[in-house]
Amino acid sequence: MANNQNMNVMQARDIQKISTGQKIGQFLVKAGTYLFLCIMALIVLFPFYWMIISSLKTLAEYRQAVPTFWPKQLMFENYATAFDTASLGTLFMNTLYVGVVSTLLSLVITVLSAFAFARLEFKGKNLLFGALMATMMLPGEMFTITNYITVTSLMEPWQMDIGGNIIEFAPMDIWGALIIPFLVSIFYIYLLRQNFMQIPNELYLAAKVDGTSDLKYLWKVMIPLSMPTLISITILKMMGAWNSYIWPNLITKSHKEYQLITNGLRNAFSDTSGQVNFPVQMAAVAIVSAPLFMVFLFLRKYIMSGVSRSGIKG
Amino acid sequence: MVDSKQHWKAWLYLAPAIVLLLIFTVWPIFNTVAMAFQNGYRSLGSIAQVEYSWGVENFQKVIEYSDFKICLQNTILLCVTTVPISTILALLIAVALNSIKPLQKILQTIFFLPYVTNSIAIGMVFAAMFNIVGLKPEGVPDTWGIINNVVMFFGGEPINWMNPGSSYVANMAVMIIYIVWNALPFKILILLGGLQSINKQYYDAAKVDGTPRRRVFTKITVPLLSPMLAYVIITGFIGGFKEYSSIIGIFGDKMGPADDAGRLNTMVGYIYSSMADSRQGLASAAALILFGIILVVTTINNQVIKKRVHY
Amino acid sequence: MSKKIISLLLVLVMLLSVVAMTGCSKKQTGNTTNVIAKEDITFSMDEEVNITFTHTMGAKLQGILDTYIKEFNKIYPNIHITHQSAGGWADINGQINTEIAGGKQPNIAYCYPDHVATYNIAKSVIVLDTLIESDVAIGDTGMIIGLTNEEKADFIESYYNEGTVYGDGKMYTMPLSKSTEVLYYDKTFFEANNLTVPTTWDEMWDVCAKIKAIDSECYPLGYDAEDNWFITLCEQNQTGFTSAEDGGKFLFNNDANKAMVKELREYYQKGYFTTQELYGSYTSNLFVETTDTRCYMCVGSSGGASYQMSNNDTSDGSFAFEVGVAPIPQADANNQKTISQGPSLCILQGADTTNQEIVASWLFVKFLCTNVDFQAEFSMESGYMPVLKSVTENEAYAKWLAKGNGYEYLVAKCVQIGIEGRDNYFVSPAFDGSSTARSEAGSLLLKCLSGKPSGSLDDFIDQAFKEAIEECEY
Repeated sequence: MANNQNMNVMQARDIQKISTGQKIGQFLVKAGTYLFLCIMALIVLFPFYWMIISSLKTLAEYRQAVPTFWPKQLMFENYATAFDTASLGTLFMNTLYVGVVSTLLSLVITVLSAFAFARLEFKGKNLLFGALMATMMLPGEMFTITNYITVTSLMEPWQMDIGGNIIEFAPMDIWGALIIPFLVSIFYIYLLRQNFMQIPNELYLAAKVDGTSDLKYLWKVMIPLSMPTLISITILKMMGAWNSYIWPNLITKSHKEYQLITNGLRNAFSDTSGQVNFPVQMAAVAIVSAPLFMVFLFLRKYIMSGVSRSGIKG
Repeated sequence: MVDSKQHWKAWLYLAPAIVLLLIFTVWPIFNTVAMAFQNGYRSLGSIAQVEYSWGVENFQKVIEYSDFKICLQNTILLCVTTVPISTILALLIAVALNSIKPLQKILQTIFFLPYVTNSIAIGMVFAAMFNIVGLKPEGVPDTWGIINNVVMFFGGEPINWMNPGSSYVANMAVMIIYIVWNALPFKILILLGGLQSINKQYYDAAKVDGTPRRRVFTKITVPLLSPMLAYVIITGFIGGFKEYSSIIGIFGDKMGPADDAGRLNTMVGYIYSSMADSRQGLASAAALILFGIILVVTTINNQVIKKRVHY
Repeated sequence: MSKKIISLLLVLVMLLSVVAMTGCSKKQTGNTTNVIAKEDITFSMDEEVNITFTHTMGAKLQGILDTYIKEFNKIYPNIHITHQSAGGWADINGQINTEIAGGKQPNIAYCYPDHVATYNIAKSVIVLDTLIESDVAIGDTGMIIGLTNEEKADFIESYYNEGTVYGDGKMYTMPLSKSTEVLYYDKTFFEANNLTVPTTWDEMWDVCAKIKAIDSECYPLGYDAEDNWFITLCEQNQTGFTSAEDGGKFLFNNDANKAMVKELREYYQKGYFTTQELYGSYTSNLFVETTDTRCYMCVGSSGGASYQMSNNDTSDGSFAFEVGVAPIPQADANNQKTISQGPSLCILQGADTTNQEIVASWLFVKFLCTNVDFQAEFSMESGYMPVLKSVTENEAYAKWLAKGNGYEYLVAKCVQIGIEGRDNYFVSPAFDGSSTARSEAGSLLLKCLSGKPSGSLDDFIDQAFKEAIEECEY
């Protein structure tokens, strides 16, 4: 702390020394930075803008060959239609449930695994890590059929004979089938491991000498220090639940009450020929994205809060 | 003692991940390998109790495929262009975003918006931007598209980007721009998170020393961000080799301009179309070939990057 | 040491769990036959049975379906139907393929012939012949399981025969609701310029030349689906596209087809027509548009009639022009052929599907396909054609049909034209690989129309055909 104050004083003194030439240079750099950011922001913003205006167009205008940049006629009805057509309430709650549960469980698994890979020494560590990385190199869709067979057989009730009483139970229910197969992501374990590895080992060894348990150290030191990454993982995982389509459609086919948002949305607005009423669909997407956006606004300050504790490298 | 204690503890921590992986990843991989070595295997056929003989015919058939080279070439080309471009751009944006005070929150929020933008909308925008509507054998089309309007504004000749009659180079350019664009938000998010973990004291010290910005960037920011950069690059390459859905997003199932279907097909594109025809044997063989390629590239990547990563 | 043993044990447990999984999936046994023997066809009204139905209906059509499931349950209270939309046409095929491989296929599915051909690799599609012919009585309802002669005769023949395009003479599907391609034209423009609506392709090109002379900037004709065009021309000219015999043959690589494509290229280069891909957008937009480049004729799906309606956003709500609807042009008046599209229903089985389930599924399929009220309501909502002749006698439906015109009731007008052309419908043969042939047909036509040959045009077309056939036969 004292160190910091000291530095602020030094900075203040330095600033006085800065010549006008440097000031102009600094201004130019700042202006350039803003210009660059604004241009990139415009480019990034464009699809979002497109989604919003599309949701306000009539179907005829949406299908026009030469696209319009502003709807001729603002169709706020699309939002009402979207709300009425798909039972958004149930879909939303289902998705929220799957999203929150899978994010929480996934975070626990990811943190524990990343900790093992970043901090602990064990035989075959590099080999195992390499093998895990290798699984990322096969296209995930190759796994769909096998996993579908696995999950459906896990959803069948198994009979167990316990002391003459035959007990029937299914190892997995529909929620489980929606959540469990996607809990482990090497992608995130790798990401968090990179972050954990930046935290100096001396801290861990010091904690060991103090007799702090691993879990306590993990909870008190490593997790707070990796908050930005953990939040990023949370956002990505939630997005995953929001966007998944093929798998939930397979799992919930005869259990409509478990449908997730994308299934409900994609299926509600199509006609017999499979043509989709895109403006209404976009409106529905905008409605369901809104809460997600709120969550981001809320979490953003944790990503950006930064970590500046003394004694921490990196 | 500490060593052996860590040993079993590590396995304990890894247990949940490993159990799930064994069931939902290793077992499917095992099946993939099994399918790859059964000649002409089809999972629908196996339901009808067709017996498939063991052998390497699937691999032969994949390699003999006349467009296999095209798939491979497109995959590699897209990978080696998009990964560096998107990484550098994301790094610049993240650093710039981190260095400003006013408007920071708004800009950060904007760079997050692609996450809540529907993927159909993103594909649509691109199609609308590059698409020339009403291209005739001769004469002026109904609209040149936004991109061409910009090109023409600066005095350039309009280019046929993706319509029938477009060139391979133009098609590739569209794909590269689109993929880079798609990859940006994720990379910015990761790098921004990484930047936050860098201790401000380094920058303060550099300020005191009057270190020029460029040096601060190359000597402090990049080295301290190197673990995250390594992550972004390695996963970028792995993802890049699996490129497929972005091409569908722009060019549709035809994987190319309408008059030359399959021109932009990739390895995973080939794998998917084989699976759609229920030719899992072929798809698996191709997936294993792809796996081999990614493994080699990632190993090289790792060797190159390892020397430069500072933990 | 003990720690080592523990970690070893952990690994063992994991391995065991995997082995357990293997054991489970081994339970899957396959299909040996997809024909139900005549003597096995029975139905018990006392045994409860659950039936799943996968389709691509939107919310409104699902509402109609729900109403008629209730009607169905008045007759068969023991059959419980759950239905689900799988999204679009591309989604449903992939989803059902996966489900069949997992032994969890729906009992009934929306299908196109190409889909049925893939499901059949697994022998999953029930052959309907024995069910159709069954005269076993259902409880004391007084009805039989199969179709009566009157019911059979009520089906529009060409639709009914779509169930047998698989090369083995067996019936695999029942038609539910159909669409076709029709020629939309700007009737106001045609009448003002004394043009006659073409009924043959020769007449078409004459009309195109005349229109081009009136409006040199326009595309006289827009054709939405390139693949349909190629397939239809092959069928009309009898030059051969594919055949389902001997597991499927690709016949389109021949000189007649090359000449046909070459001729089309000439007309394209003259600016007589455009297609969706060549234009870069739906040609229906060109047709509806009255300000920019125009297109005065448009061949599109009869199911898409609502997209072909002329604009009425003028201040007084009047329409920009009257839309005319006609059958598509033919090559040969004695061999009239128009493509048929739209969903059929198939019944799927897995290893553990019971006969009770299969017969129950059949009863529901039969109900949907032969219920005049359902067919009428479905047609009015979707703009697709009913598959029964007697639907036109339904009072509400006849009233709706009679309203058909070139303005706000274009959908009904289209259905009218579709019903009139019912003797000309064909579907291309379906077999393992026929979907590749379909998509190759579209790209091939486009390539030949707009490609820029470096050498002679004939060599270029030869090469394009050769590549397409190689892709099909791979």
